[in-house]
Amino acid sequence: MLFVGISAGAAAAHPHVWVTARAQVVFNTQGQIEAIRNAWVFDEMYSAFATQGIGKDGQLLSKDELAPLAKTNVESLEEFDYFTYAKAASQKIEFGAPADYSLEQRQDKLVVLRFTLPLKTPTSATRAFSFQVYDPTYFVAFEMEKDNPVSLAGAPKGCSINVLGSNPLAASDTKKLSESFFSGLSPGTDFGVKLASRIIVACP
Amino acid sequence: MSVRPTIAGFALPLALLLSLVVLWPSQSLGQGVHHPFAVGANEGAVASAQGVMGWILAKESGFYRLLSGAIRTAKLNGGAPWGLIALSLGYGIFHAAGPGHGKAVIASYMLANERALRRGLVIAFGAALLQGFTAVAIVGISAIVFQAAAARMTAAANVVEIVSYAGITVLGAVLVTVKGAALLAARRVAPSAVDYAGAGVAGNFRADDCTEDHLHGPGCSHFHAPDPLTLGAGFSWKSAALTMLAAGARPCSGAILVLVFALAQGIFSAGIFAVLAMSLGTAITTAALASTAVFAKNTAVKYATPGSRRSLMAGRLFEFAAASAVLGLGITLLLAVLAGGTGAS
Repeated sequence: MLFVGISAGAAAAHPHVWVTARAQVVFNTQGQIEAIRNAWVFDEMYSAFATQGIGKDGQLLSKDELAPLAKTNVESLEEFDYFTYAKAASQKIEFGAPADYSLEQRQDKLVVLRFTLPLKTPTSATRAFSFQVYDPTYFVAFEMEKDNPVSLAGAPKGCSINVLGSNPLAASDTKKLSESFFSGLSPGTDFGVKLASRIIVACP
Repeated sequence: MSVRPTIAGFALPLALLLSLVVLWPSQSLGQGVHHPFAVGANEGAVASAQGVMGWILAKESGFYRLLSGAIRTAKLNGGAPWGLIALSLGYGIFHAAGPGHGKAVIASYMLANERALRRGLVIAFGAALLQGFTAVAIVGISAIVFQAAAARMTAAANVVEIVSYAGITVLGAVLVTVKGAALLAARRVAPSAVDYAGAGVAGNFRADDCTEDHLHGPGCSHFHAPDPLTLGAGFSWKSAALTMLAAGARPCSGAILVLVFALAQGIFSAGIFAVLAMSLGTAITTAALASTAVFAKNTAVKYATPGSRRSLMAGRLFEFAAASAVLGLGITLLLAVLAGGTGAS
């Protein structure tokens, strides 16, 4: 048992950062999806950490003051596929370098990271386009915003959005967890993906 | 015992090291940490979160999310932050119950070495407290003294992490050398002649390796002294101290976040109380694990007829395997953190 613990030791994470995410699916004039705009609101502890030592005490930070941090964040996100995983007709979508990124500190001191992730090749949404936002390492726990988690920009008429399964550790999961009590400790589905909402965009 | 001076002896160099890192003109020190939202040490890794671990994970997350609320309440009430402390204790218990290298190091060390439970408990508590103090030191020195930004704090924590992993590797190498020699000695020597002096010959033979890193002198073989009470305090405590250091030096991201958040709320002291309570919780779980390790080992050794060659070999094999586990863990973690990898592909 101890050795199982050791082998699992290096491969275990638990969330220390919580993000409430909002996404916007951007269409081009041909009615194809050309980008996903992410807006991630960090929890108050991480927000305090991220802004520690920047700017003057007691004042909200400006976008300019946070610009270097925004750059660092977005650049280091590349290695993690920007935590954004999209598919069209079962094909993995490749993203280009993010544009229009910024960090802002809201009135309530929470920090928001915004960036636009262009698709390398714009794709039609007539054949099942879907995406998920999650951290596979589960260091960051992503959760889609309760109200209007996803919006469409410039979408052709009749396009719709569906957000599937956005409740962290739903009752069924907890039940599954206790069922696998004895068979547990084996590598399996990881929480990052498991808890991620799937967003489906469908156009006629 | 000599635990206190050991921790004090660690605190000063740590403070100096942290100051150096915080003041270092280049950001390159933080390059080991690649996770975009890394907090302190590099904790991102693929979670295999099922069964017991999944439940622990869920509990831990729950406690953690309540902590920010408790810190704000502590600020509003102004009084003793008991709610915060209780929550932190719970978080610490569940935090330590999840898989993590600190527990693995302690458990393996206990398997490789210890039969005395009391010492194991001291090691478990020492490591947990050290972890808390490191977090306080990192945040205290970088945020309060130097008003450093989060990136610097993360770089500082990263350096401590590398040192900690190197420590695990050294500890593993030392254990493997000593235990390997003991295993060979047990194999070679006839049962009747195998006593602890026999192991001592091997220990002396390898004295050069041992002294090299100042961990122990010719007293290596004292690992195997039959009566724990007669163990040479010097060597044993040095390796125990190294275990505490290796297992406990690496600060926990959670503790750093709690401290920085408390600082931002203007109640750093409440943050320190919370982190110490977390350490205590961690210590309780680790101590339970250490007890299990000692019990498992003693049982395994007893299974074979006491004093027999089989019993001796079983014990030595057990210890050698545990020692190898520590070494393997150290190398894996060190390589991962130096490569900046997080286990995510």
